[in-house]
Amino acid sequence: MLVYLKIYRYNPEAGRNVPSYDTYNIEAEPTDRVLDLLEEVKGHIDGTLSYRRSCAHGVCGSDAMRINGRNMLACKVLVKDVGSEITVEPILGLPVLKDMIVDMEPFFDSYKAVMPFLVNDDIPADGKERLQSPEQRERFDDTTKCIMCAACTTSCPVFWADDQYVGPAAVVAAHRFIFDSRDQAGDDRLKILSDHGGVFRCRTAFNCTEACPREIHVTQAIAEVKQAITS
Amino acid sequence: MASSVSPIKTTAAGYVGYQGREGHYAFLLHRLTGLGTLLFLLIHILDTSTVYFFPALYEHAIALYRSTPFMLGEIGLVFAVVYHGVNGLRIAVTDLWMPKRWAIQTQRKAVWTTLVISVILWAPAALWMLYNMLLHNHGINILPFIGTH
Repeated sequence: MLVYLKIYRYNPEAGRNVPSYDTYNIEAEPTDRVLDLLEEVKGHIDGTLSYRRSCAHGVCGSDAMRINGRNMLACKVLVKDVGSEITVEPILGLPVLKDMIVDMEPFFDSYKAVMPFLVNDDIPADGKERLQSPEQRERFDDTTKCIMCAACTTSCPVFWADDQYVGPAAVVAAHRFIFDSRDQAGDDRLKILSDHGGVFRCRTAFNCTEACPREIHVTQAIAEVKQAITS
Repeated sequence: MASSVSPIKTTAAGYVGYQGREGHYAFLLHRLTGLGTLLFLLIHILDTSTVYFFPALYEHAIALYRSTPFMLGEIGLVFAVVYHGVNGLRIAVTDLWMPKRWAIQTQRKAVWTTLVISVILWAPAALWMLYNMLLHNHGINILPFIGTH
């Protein structure tokens, strides 16, 4: 099938200071991924096209972008699922550096702010490991799946308007440790998330849950953190 | 150098351009109906204040409220208040008591259910207001079995 591909371009170092779009007609299989189309352009038509990709199999979380107006991983979405006219743009709300590459630092700053690591200074009972029941492990299983692609945070209307909001991904990261029976810093994280830029900025637009390529119940995780703060 | 991101531009681009699912549009409608109701309340405070400060203007304001464009706006206002309330209940009940219902299929349905409930609650009031507007402003009786009052 012939695909009409429209790609966002921005490259101030090469004189493209004003964002614009390049268009291509690409021959593709319906089962090709959108990433394959970008590889075709970069490899055979215009080597200056820039985007992040690493594993190309939906695990590393590098290639989140807006495809036909919605956040997706280019390596996970098939051409047949988005049609023969495809527009590719960078994710919203983070400064664009070049083409599809955005500055992820503000996103990672929010991630770091919620202490995304296990805190426990006690010596384990047997001196070796901290045991956990299957039920205790299940409690936070969903939020362990995050690959930090930023598809959720940059689909959030609150984040678009206010970059002080930590965003859904940071709350997911916090949820993963708040509900971990081995962790001891839950109260610290809840205090951070009850502040001005915390969970109560969430307006439950639900874009985050729809955008998550790992199918994490993001809005549910945010609601559970809200409940943990108020209870 | 990164392209500077203006929050207002980003928000406008996202509100209008992001191709979200039901939740995205429910969020936009909630915001629109909320801001619409707020705008009406501000205007209403202003026009009511003219009773004290400029009584002659108050008569003029009341006449304006009885004009067809304003009455159509009031019918829209009733929808705004009803939708904002019902959708607010959906969000509050789910968020406070049923976080597990923040699931994709459940919410896609819940957004539509909210809209249907809002329209059902709005329709009788809208019909009654439309009846009065057409009768008094244009002499048309769309509910002849009720007669004129």
